[in-house]
Amino acid sequence: MTPETSSEPRASDAVLIDRLVLRDEGALAVLYDRYAGVISSVLHRILRDDQAAEEILQDIFFQLWNTASRFDSSRGSLPAWLVVIARNRAISRLRRHNPAAGEALLEGMAVSPFNLESSAARQQLVERAKASLENLPKEQRTAVELAFFEGLTHSEIAARTGDPLGTVKTRLRSALETLRRTLHSAARSASQLE
Amino acid sequence: MNDHPTRDEDFDLYALGALEGAEKQALESHIAFCLGCAQKVADARGRIAMLALAAPPAKAPAVVKERLLRQIREARGQGGGAVTETELQPASRAVLSRWTAILIPIAAVLAVATFLLWNANRRLDSQLAALRASAQQQERQLQDAREITGLITARDTITVQLAPQPAMPQGTAHVMYNTKMGMLMYEGQIPPAPAAKSYQLWLVPASGNPISCGVFNPVAGEPDHWMMKLPKGIEPRAFAVTLEPSGGMPQPTGPKVLVGAPS
Repeated sequence: MTPETSSEPRASDAVLIDRLVLRDEGALAVLYDRYAGVISSVLHRILRDDQAAEEILQDIFFQLWNTASRFDSSRGSLPAWLVVIARNRAISRLRRHNPAAGEALLEGMAVSPFNLESSAARQQLVERAKASLENLPKEQRTAVELAFFEGLTHSEIAARTGDPLGTVKTRLRSALETLRRTLHSAARSASQLE
Repeated sequence: MNDHPTRDEDFDLYALGALEGAEKQALESHIAFCLGCAQKVADARGRIAMLALAAPPAKAPAVVKERLLRQIREARGQGGGAVTETELQPASRAVLSRWTAILIPIAAVLAVATFLLWNANRRLDSQLAALRASAQQQERQLQDAREITGLITARDTITVQLAPQPAMPQGTAHVMYNTKMGMLMYEGQIPPAPAAKSYQLWLVPASGNPISCGVFNPVAGEPDHWMMKLPKGIEPRAFAVTLEPSGGMPQPTGPKVLVGAPS
Protein backbone atom coordinates (compact mmCIF):
# COMPACT_ATOMS: atom_id res chain seq x y z
CA MET A 1 0.00 0.00 0.00
CA THR A 2 1.49 3.34 -1.04
CA PRO A 3 1.93 5.73 1.88
CA GLU A 4 0.33 9.15 1.66
CA THR A 5 2.85 11.74 0.63
CA SER A 6 0.86 14.93 0.93
CA SER A 7 1.46 17.55 3.56
CA GLU A 8 -2.07 16.81 4.89
CA PRO A 9 -2.26 13.03 4.99
CA ARG A 10 -4.82 12.89 7.78
CA ALA A 11 -7.57 14.92 6.11
CA SER A 12 -10.78 12.87 5.99
CA ASP A 13 -12.27 11.74 2.68
CA ALA A 14 -15.22 14.10 3.19
CA VAL A 15 -12.91 17.09 3.61
CA LEU A 16 -10.89 16.08 0.57
CA ILE A 17 -14.05 15.68 -1.53
CA ASP A 18 -15.12 19.20 -0.53
CA ARG A 19 -11.71 20.44 -1.62
CA LEU A 20 -12.03 18.60 -4.94
CA VAL A 21 -15.26 20.49 -5.54
CA LEU A 22 -13.25 23.68 -5.07
CA ARG A 23 -10.79 22.34 -7.69
CA ASP A 24 -7.91 21.62 -5.30
CA GLU A 25 -5.39 19.37 -7.10
CA GLY A 26 -3.62 18.65 -3.81
CA ALA A 27 -6.75 16.95 -2.51
CA LEU A 28 -6.82 14.68 -5.56
CA ALA A 29 -3.16 13.83 -5.00
CA VAL A 30 -3.88 12.78 -1.40
CA LEU A 31 -6.84 10.64 -2.47
CA TYR A 32 -4.71 9.08 -5.19
CA ASP A 33 -1.99 8.20 -2.66
CA ARG A 34 -4.62 6.81 -0.32
CA TYR A 35 -6.59 4.59 -2.70
CA ALA A 36 -4.73 4.08 -5.99
CA GLY A 37 -2.91 1.05 -4.52
CA VAL A 38 -6.14 -0.76 -3.67
CA ILE A 39 -7.67 0.14 -7.03
CA SER A 40 -4.54 -0.95 -8.90
CA SER A 41 -4.60 -4.32 -7.12
CA VAL A 42 -8.11 -5.14 -8.25
CA LEU A 43 -7.50 -3.80 -11.78
CA HIS A 44 -4.36 -5.90 -12.20
CA ARG A 45 -6.03 -9.00 -10.75
CA ILE A 46 -8.91 -8.71 -13.22
CA LEU A 47 -7.11 -7.50 -16.33
CA ARG A 48 -3.56 -8.88 -15.92
CA ASP A 49 -2.49 -6.07 -18.27
CA ASP A 50 -0.42 -3.16 -16.90
CA GLN A 51 -1.31 -0.71 -19.65
CA ALA A 52 -5.06 -1.33 -19.49
CA ALA A 53 -4.98 -1.16 -15.68
CA GLU A 54 -3.13 2.18 -15.75
CA GLU A 55 -5.56 3.66 -18.29
CA ILE A 56 -8.57 2.73 -16.19
CA LEU A 57 -6.91 3.91 -12.98
CA GLN A 58 -6.28 7.33 -14.52
CA ASP A 59 -9.84 7.48 -15.93
CA ILE A 60 -11.39 6.69 -12.56
CA PHE A 61 -9.53 9.48 -10.75
CA PHE A 62 -10.20 11.89 -13.61
CA GLN A 63 -13.90 11.02 -13.33
CA LEU A 64 -13.69 11.61 -9.57
CA TRP A 65 -12.17 15.05 -10.25
CA ASN A 66 -14.93 15.93 -12.70
CA THR A 67 -17.89 14.60 -10.73
CA ALA A 68 -16.86 15.20 -7.12
CA SER A 69 -19.70 17.70 -6.62
CA ARG A 70 -22.19 14.91 -7.28
CA PHE A 71 -20.65 12.49 -4.81
CA ASP A 72 -23.06 11.91 -1.91
CA SER A 73 -21.24 10.53 1.11
CA SER A 74 -24.57 9.54 2.71
CA ARG A 75 -24.92 6.88 0.00
CA GLY A 76 -21.54 5.25 0.51
CA SER A 77 -17.89 5.63 1.35
CA LEU A 78 -15.43 6.77 -1.28
CA PRO A 79 -13.24 3.63 -1.33
CA ALA A 80 -16.31 1.40 -1.73
CA TRP A 81 -17.41 3.52 -4.69
CA LEU A 82 -13.96 3.45 -6.23
CA VAL A 83 -13.66 -0.31 -5.90
CA VAL A 84 -17.12 -0.93 -7.40
CA ILE A 85 -16.37 1.40 -10.32
CA ALA A 86 -12.92 -0.13 -10.87
CA ARG A 87 -14.32 -3.66 -10.91
CA ASN A 88 -17.13 -2.70 -13.30
CA ARG A 89 -14.78 -0.91 -15.67
CA ALA A 90 -12.23 -3.72 -15.65
CA ILE A 91 -14.83 -6.43 -16.22
CA SER A 92 -16.40 -4.37 -19.01
CA ARG A 93 -12.97 -4.10 -20.64
CA LEU A 94 -12.26 -7.79 -20.08
CA ARG A 95 -15.57 -8.86 -21.57
CA ARG A 96 -15.53 -6.16 -24.25
CA HIS A 97 -18.74 -4.62 -23.01
CA ASN A 98 -19.47 -0.93 -23.22
CA PRO A 99 -16.44 0.62 -21.49
CA ALA A 100 -18.60 3.43 -20.16
CA ALA A 101 -20.91 1.02 -18.34
CA GLY A 102 -19.77 2.28 -14.94
CA GLU A 103 -20.01 5.98 -15.74
CA ALA A 104 -23.19 6.68 -13.80
CA LEU A 105 -22.15 4.78 -10.71
CA LEU A 106 -20.69 7.64 -8.74
CA GLU A 107 -23.94 9.53 -8.67
CA GLY A 108 -26.57 6.86 -9.17
CA MET A 109 -25.91 3.82 -7.03
CA ALA A 110 -25.88 3.27 -3.29
CA VAL A 111 -22.98 1.31 -1.80
CA SER A 112 -22.86 0.82 1.92
CA PRO A 113 -19.58 1.95 3.34
CA PHE A 114 -16.46 0.27 4.45
CA ASN A 115 -13.80 2.60 5.66
CA LEU A 116 -10.17 2.57 4.54
CA GLU A 117 -9.16 6.04 5.63
CA SER A 118 -6.79 4.87 8.36
CA SER A 119 -3.85 2.75 7.27
CA ALA A 120 -4.31 0.42 10.28
CA ALA A 121 -7.93 -0.26 9.31
CA ARG A 122 -6.87 -0.69 5.68
CA GLN A 123 -4.19 -3.23 6.57
CA GLN A 124 -6.51 -5.18 8.86
CA LEU A 125 -9.30 -5.28 6.29
CA VAL A 126 -6.91 -6.50 3.57
CA GLU A 127 -5.73 -9.34 5.81
CA ARG A 128 -9.24 -10.30 6.90
CA ALA A 129 -10.60 -10.19 3.34
CA LYS A 130 -7.77 -12.48 2.15
CA ALA A 131 -8.34 -14.88 5.04
CA SER A 132 -12.10 -14.93 4.40
CA LEU A 133 -11.55 -16.01 0.83
CA GLU A 134 -8.68 -18.42 1.57
CA ASN A 135 -10.66 -20.20 4.29
CA LEU A 136 -13.47 -21.15 1.91
CA PRO A 137 -13.48 -24.71 0.54
CA LYS A 138 -11.58 -24.75 -2.77
CA GLU A 139 -14.63 -25.20 -5.04
CA GLN A 140 -16.51 -22.39 -3.30
CA ARG A 141 -13.48 -20.07 -3.51
CA THR A 142 -13.08 -20.79 -7.23
CA ALA A 143 -16.74 -19.99 -7.87
CA VAL A 144 -16.50 -16.69 -5.95
CA GLU A 145 -13.27 -15.70 -7.71
CA LEU A 146 -14.73 -16.45 -11.16
CA ALA A 147 -17.76 -14.31 -10.33
CA PHE A 148 -15.89 -11.44 -8.68
CA PHE A 149 -12.69 -11.21 -10.69
CA GLU A 150 -14.01 -12.35 -14.08
CA GLY A 151 -17.62 -11.22 -13.83
CA LEU A 152 -19.06 -14.64 -14.68
CA THR A 153 -22.71 -15.49 -13.99
CA HIS A 154 -23.98 -18.78 -12.53
CA SER A 155 -24.32 -20.47 -15.90
CA GLU A 156 -21.01 -19.12 -17.19
CA ILE A 157 -19.24 -20.50 -14.11
CA ALA A 158 -20.93 -23.86 -14.67
CA ALA A 159 -19.78 -23.84 -18.31
CA ARG A 160 -16.22 -22.89 -17.28
CA THR A 161 -15.85 -25.47 -14.51
CA GLY A 162 -17.96 -28.22 -16.05
CA ASP A 163 -20.04 -28.50 -12.86
CA PRO A 164 -23.85 -28.75 -12.89
CA LEU A 165 -25.62 -25.38 -12.62
CA GLY A 166 -27.35 -26.40 -9.38
CA THR A 167 -24.01 -27.30 -7.81
CA VAL A 168 -22.54 -23.93 -8.78
CA LYS A 169 -25.54 -22.11 -7.31
CA THR A 170 -25.31 -24.04 -4.04
CA ARG A 171 -21.56 -23.43 -3.79
CA LEU A 172 -21.91 -19.71 -4.37
CA ARG A 173 -24.75 -19.41 -1.86
CA SER A 174 -22.79 -21.31 0.78
CA ALA A 175 -19.69 -19.21 0.11
CA LEU A 176 -21.61 -15.94 0.31
CA GLU A 177 -23.33 -17.01 3.51
CA THR A 178 -19.89 -17.59 5.07
CA LEU A 179 -18.42 -14.39 3.59
CA ARG A 180 -21.38 -12.36 4.84
CA ARG A 181 -20.43 -13.27 8.42
CA THR A 182 -16.67 -12.97 8.10
CA LEU A 183 -16.61 -9.74 6.06
CA HIS A 184 -19.21 -8.09 8.27
CA SER A 185 -17.17 -8.91 11.34
CA ALA A 186 -13.96 -7.72 9.59
CA ALA A 187 -15.54 -4.38 8.65
CA ARG A 188 -16.89 -3.89 12.15
CA SER A 189 -13.58 -4.69 13.78
CA ALA A 190 -11.65 -2.42 11.33
CA SER A 191 -14.04 0.45 12.00
CA GLN A 192 -13.14 0.22 15.70
CA LEU A 193 -9.56 1.08 14.71
CA GLU A 194 -10.64 4.37 13.12
CA MET B 1 -40.97 -10.70 -7.67
CA ASN B 2 -43.42 -8.83 -5.53
CA ASP B 3 -42.35 -10.60 -2.34
CA HIS B 4 -39.08 -9.87 -0.65
CA PRO B 5 -36.26 -12.27 -1.54
CA THR B 6 -36.41 -15.13 0.95
CA ARG B 7 -32.66 -15.61 1.24
CA ASP B 8 -30.16 -12.94 2.16
CA GLU B 9 -27.59 -14.40 -0.22
CA ASP B 10 -29.78 -13.25 -3.13
CA PHE B 11 -28.61 -9.71 -2.46
CA ASP B 12 -24.95 -10.79 -2.44
CA LEU B 13 -25.44 -12.85 -5.62
CA TYR B 14 -26.92 -9.79 -7.30
CA ALA B 15 -24.09 -7.53 -6.11
CA LEU B 16 -21.60 -10.13 -7.28
CA GLY B 17 -23.19 -10.14 -10.75
CA ALA B 18 -23.84 -13.89 -10.65
CA LEU B 19 -27.64 -13.66 -10.91
CA GLU B 20 -28.98 -13.77 -14.43
CA GLY B 21 -32.18 -14.01 -16.46
CA ALA B 22 -35.50 -14.12 -14.64
CA GLU B 23 -33.91 -14.19 -11.16
CA LYS B 24 -31.99 -10.99 -11.87
CA GLN B 25 -34.98 -9.23 -13.44
CA ALA B 26 -37.25 -10.21 -10.56
CA LEU B 27 -34.86 -8.79 -7.99
CA GLU B 28 -34.28 -5.61 -9.99
CA SER B 29 -38.00 -4.95 -10.38
CA HIS B 30 -38.50 -5.57 -6.66
CA ILE B 31 -35.76 -3.24 -5.42
CA ALA B 32 -37.06 -0.53 -7.74
CA PHE B 33 -39.92 0.06 -5.28
CA CYS B 34 -38.73 -1.58 -2.04
CA LEU B 35 -36.39 0.75 -0.14
CA GLY B 36 -35.63 -1.90 2.47
CA CYS B 37 -34.37 -4.38 -0.10
CA ALA B 38 -32.59 -1.61 -2.04
CA GLN B 39 -30.67 -0.89 1.17
CA LYS B 40 -29.83 -4.59 1.46
CA VAL B 41 -28.44 -4.49 -2.09
CA ALA B 42 -26.35 -1.45 -1.12
CA ASP B 43 -25.07 -3.34 1.94
CA ALA B 44 -24.25 -6.32 -0.27
CA ARG B 45 -22.38 -4.10 -2.77
CA GLY B 46 -20.22 -2.72 0.03
CA ARG B 47 -19.59 -6.21 1.41
CA ILE B 48 -18.80 -7.74 -1.99
CA ALA B 49 -16.53 -4.80 -2.85
CA MET B 50 -14.38 -5.83 0.10
CA LEU B 51 -13.37 -8.95 -1.85
CA ALA B 52 -11.23 -6.60 -3.95
CA LEU B 53 -8.96 -6.29 -0.96
CA ALA B 54 -8.05 -9.97 -1.37
CA ALA B 55 -6.35 -9.22 -4.71
CA PRO B 56 -2.54 -9.45 -4.67
CA PRO B 57 -1.18 -6.03 -3.66
CA ALA B 58 -0.06 -3.71 -6.45
CA LYS B 59 1.76 -0.40 -6.18
CA ALA B 60 0.02 2.79 -7.20
CA PRO B 61 2.02 3.86 -10.28
CA ALA B 62 3.58 7.31 -9.78
CA VAL B 63 3.58 7.81 -13.55
CA VAL B 64 -0.22 7.61 -13.61
CA LYS B 65 -0.43 10.26 -10.91
CA GLU B 66 1.77 12.55 -12.99
CA ARG B 67 -0.30 11.91 -16.12
CA LEU B 68 -3.52 12.50 -14.19
CA LEU B 69 -2.40 15.87 -12.81
CA ARG B 70 -1.18 16.89 -16.28
CA GLN B 71 -4.52 15.86 -17.78
CA ILE B 72 -6.34 18.02 -15.23
CA ARG B 73 -4.19 21.06 -15.95
CA GLU B 74 -4.69 20.61 -19.69
CA ALA B 75 -8.45 20.27 -19.25
CA ARG B 76 -8.49 23.41 -17.12
CA GLY B 77 -6.50 25.30 -19.75
CA GLN B 78 -8.96 24.32 -22.49
CA GLY B 79 -12.03 25.07 -20.41
CA GLY B 80 -10.80 28.41 -19.04
CA GLY B 81 -11.84 30.40 -22.08
CA ALA B 82 -9.53 33.29 -21.10
CA VAL B 83 -9.52 36.26 -23.41
CA THR B 84 -6.01 37.18 -24.50
CA GLU B 85 -4.73 40.76 -24.31
CA THR B 86 -4.17 40.97 -28.05
CA GLU B 87 -7.90 40.54 -28.60
CA LEU B 88 -8.77 43.66 -26.56
CA GLN B 89 -8.87 47.17 -27.90
CA PRO B 90 -7.63 50.02 -25.56
CA ALA B 91 -11.17 51.48 -25.16
CA SER B 92 -12.77 48.19 -24.34
CA ARG B 93 -9.94 47.53 -21.87
CA ALA B 94 -10.86 50.68 -19.92
CA VAL B 95 -14.59 49.75 -19.89
CA LEU B 96 -13.72 46.26 -18.85
CA SER B 97 -11.57 47.59 -16.04
CA ARG B 98 -14.48 49.68 -14.62
CA TRP B 99 -16.93 46.79 -14.90
CA THR B 100 -14.39 44.44 -13.38
CA ALA B 101 -14.15 46.64 -10.29
CA ILE B 102 -17.93 46.41 -9.87
CA LEU B 103 -18.49 42.83 -10.93
CA ILE B 104 -15.72 41.05 -9.06
CA PRO B 105 -17.12 41.74 -5.56
CA ILE B 106 -20.64 40.85 -6.76
CA ALA B 107 -19.37 37.64 -8.32
CA ALA B 108 -17.52 36.80 -5.12
CA VAL B 109 -20.65 37.31 -3.02
CA LEU B 110 -22.70 35.26 -5.46
CA ALA B 111 -20.12 32.49 -5.44
CA VAL B 112 -20.12 32.32 -1.63
CA ALA B 113 -23.94 32.39 -1.53
CA THR B 114 -24.13 29.66 -4.17
CA PHE B 115 -21.69 27.50 -2.27
CA LEU B 116 -23.60 27.96 1.00
CA LEU B 117 -26.91 27.15 -0.70
CA TRP B 118 -25.42 24.12 -2.41
CA ASN B 119 -24.03 22.90 0.90
CA ALA B 120 -27.36 23.42 2.67
CA ASN B 121 -29.14 21.64 -0.17
CA ARG B 122 -26.78 18.70 0.13
CA ARG B 123 -27.46 18.43 3.87
CA LEU B 124 -31.22 18.64 3.33
CA ASP B 125 -31.08 15.95 0.64
CA SER B 126 -29.26 13.64 3.05
CA GLN B 127 -31.76 14.32 5.83
CA LEU B 128 -34.67 13.72 3.44
CA ALA B 129 -33.19 10.41 2.29
CA ALA B 130 -32.70 9.32 5.92
CA LEU B 131 -36.28 10.29 6.82
CA ARG B 132 -37.66 8.41 3.82
CA ALA B 133 -35.70 5.29 4.75
CA SER B 134 -36.88 5.55 8.35
CA ALA B 135 -40.54 5.99 7.30
CA GLN B 136 -40.27 2.99 5.02
CA GLN B 137 -38.75 0.94 7.82
CA GLN B 138 -41.55 1.92 10.22
CA GLU B 139 -44.16 1.09 7.62
CA ARG B 140 -42.66 -2.36 7.19
CA GLN B 141 -42.53 -2.93 10.93
CA LEU B 142 -46.18 -1.90 11.22
CA GLN B 143 -47.14 -4.21 8.37
CA ASP B 144 -45.20 -7.06 10.01
CA ALA B 145 -46.97 -6.37 13.31
CA ARG B 146 -50.37 -6.44 11.55
CA GLU B 147 -49.54 -9.72 9.86
CA ILE B 148 -48.32 -11.31 13.10
CA THR B 149 -51.48 -10.17 14.90
CA GLY B 150 -53.61 -11.53 12.05
CA LEU B 151 -51.83 -14.88 12.21
CA ILE B 152 -52.01 -15.20 15.99
CA THR B 153 -55.67 -14.21 16.28
CA ALA B 154 -57.02 -16.22 13.33
CA ARG B 155 -59.22 -19.12 14.55
CA ASP B 156 -57.83 -21.57 12.02
CA THR B 157 -54.16 -20.95 12.89
CA ILE B 158 -52.53 -24.09 14.28
CA THR B 159 -49.63 -24.25 16.73
CA VAL B 160 -47.24 -27.16 16.37
CA GLN B 161 -44.65 -27.88 19.05
CA LEU B 162 -41.36 -29.19 17.64
CA ALA B 163 -39.77 -31.89 19.79
CA PRO B 164 -36.01 -32.44 19.99
CA GLN B 165 -34.75 -35.72 18.56
CA PRO B 166 -32.45 -38.15 20.41
CA ALA B 167 -28.70 -37.48 20.14
CA MET B 168 -29.35 -34.12 18.50
CA PRO B 169 -28.89 -30.56 19.85
CA GLN B 170 -31.67 -30.05 22.40
CA GLY B 171 -33.85 -27.05 21.81
CA THR B 172 -37.42 -25.91 22.06
CA ALA B 173 -39.47 -24.43 19.27
CA HIS B 174 -42.95 -24.10 17.89
CA VAL B 175 -44.49 -23.13 14.59
CA MET B 176 -47.73 -21.21 14.09
CA TYR B 177 -49.21 -21.84 10.68
CA ASN B 178 -52.32 -20.81 8.81
CA THR B 179 -53.07 -22.75 5.63
CA LYS B 180 -55.58 -20.24 4.21
CA MET B 181 -53.37 -17.23 4.85
CA GLY B 182 -50.23 -19.08 3.75
CA MET B 183 -48.36 -17.66 6.73
CA LEU B 184 -45.91 -19.31 9.08
CA MET B 185 -44.19 -18.06 12.20
CA TYR B 186 -41.26 -19.85 13.86
CA GLU B 187 -40.14 -19.21 17.41
CA GLY B 188 -37.51 -21.26 19.13
CA GLN B 189 -34.22 -21.53 20.91
CA ILE B 190 -31.62 -24.07 19.93
CA PRO B 191 -27.83 -24.33 20.46
CA PRO B 192 -25.62 -22.89 17.68
CA ALA B 193 -25.08 -25.13 14.65
CA PRO B 194 -21.69 -26.91 14.34
CA ALA B 195 -19.04 -25.33 12.10
CA ALA B 196 -19.96 -25.19 8.39
CA LYS B 197 -23.56 -26.20 9.18
CA SER B 198 -26.89 -24.36 9.31
CA TYR B 199 -30.31 -25.31 10.58
CA GLN B 200 -33.16 -25.33 8.07
CA LEU B 201 -36.91 -25.36 8.80
CA TRP B 202 -39.15 -27.41 6.51
CA LEU B 203 -42.87 -27.70 5.99
CA VAL B 204 -43.63 -31.28 4.96
CA PRO B 205 -46.86 -31.10 2.92
CA ALA B 206 -49.53 -33.79 2.78
CA SER B 207 -48.27 -34.50 -0.71
CA GLY B 208 -45.16 -33.41 -2.54
CA ASN B 209 -41.65 -32.43 -1.48
CA PRO B 210 -40.73 -30.56 1.71
CA ILE B 211 -40.75 -26.77 1.41
CA SER B 212 -37.89 -24.73 2.86
CA CYS B 213 -39.12 -22.18 5.39
CA GLY B 214 -35.82 -20.59 6.36
CA VAL B 215 -32.14 -21.27 7.00
CA PHE B 216 -30.79 -20.05 10.31
CA ASN B 217 -27.67 -19.99 12.46
CA PRO B 218 -28.66 -19.34 16.08
CA VAL B 219 -26.49 -17.36 18.47
CA ALA B 220 -25.91 -19.08 21.84
CA GLY B 221 -28.59 -18.16 24.37
CA GLU B 222 -30.67 -16.10 21.94
CA PRO B 223 -34.06 -17.10 20.55
CA ASP B 224 -34.85 -17.08 16.84
CA HIS B 225 -38.13 -15.99 15.38
CA TRP B 226 -39.33 -15.05 11.95
CA MET B 227 -42.40 -15.00 9.85
CA MET B 228 -42.67 -16.29 6.30
CA LYS B 229 -45.25 -16.14 3.54
CA LEU B 230 -45.88 -19.36 1.63
CA PRO B 231 -48.29 -20.20 -1.18
CA LYS B 232 -51.82 -20.41 0.24
CA GLY B 233 -53.60 -23.73 0.74
CA ILE B 234 -50.68 -26.06 1.56
CA GLU B 235 -51.85 -28.63 4.12
CA PRO B 236 -48.95 -29.59 6.42
CA ARG B 237 -48.24 -33.17 7.41
CA ALA B 238 -45.34 -32.15 9.65
CA PHE B 239 -42.72 -29.50 10.37
CA ALA B 240 -39.05 -30.31 10.89
CA VAL B 241 -35.75 -28.60 11.53
CA THR B 242 -32.77 -30.38 9.94
CA LEU B 243 -29.03 -29.83 10.11
CA GLU B 244 -27.70 -28.95 6.64
CA PRO B 245 -24.49 -27.71 5.02
CA SER B 246 -23.92 -24.02 5.70
CA GLY B 247 -26.36 -21.91 3.70
CA GLY B 248 -29.04 -24.62 3.43
CA MET B 249 -30.08 -27.07 0.73
CA PRO B 250 -32.90 -27.18 -1.84
CA GLN B 251 -34.22 -30.39 -0.18
CA PRO B 252 -33.43 -31.87 3.25
CA THR B 253 -30.29 -34.01 3.36
CA GLY B 254 -29.25 -33.91 7.03
CA PRO B 255 -30.54 -35.39 10.27
CA LYS B 256 -33.75 -34.16 11.90
CA VAL B 257 -33.12 -32.04 14.97
CA LEU B 258 -36.69 -30.97 15.83
CA VAL B 259 -39.90 -32.53 14.56
CA GLY B 260 -43.59 -31.88 15.12
CA ALA B 261 -46.91 -32.71 13.46
CA PRO B 262 -50.33 -31.05 13.66
CA SER B 263 -52.59 -32.87 16.10
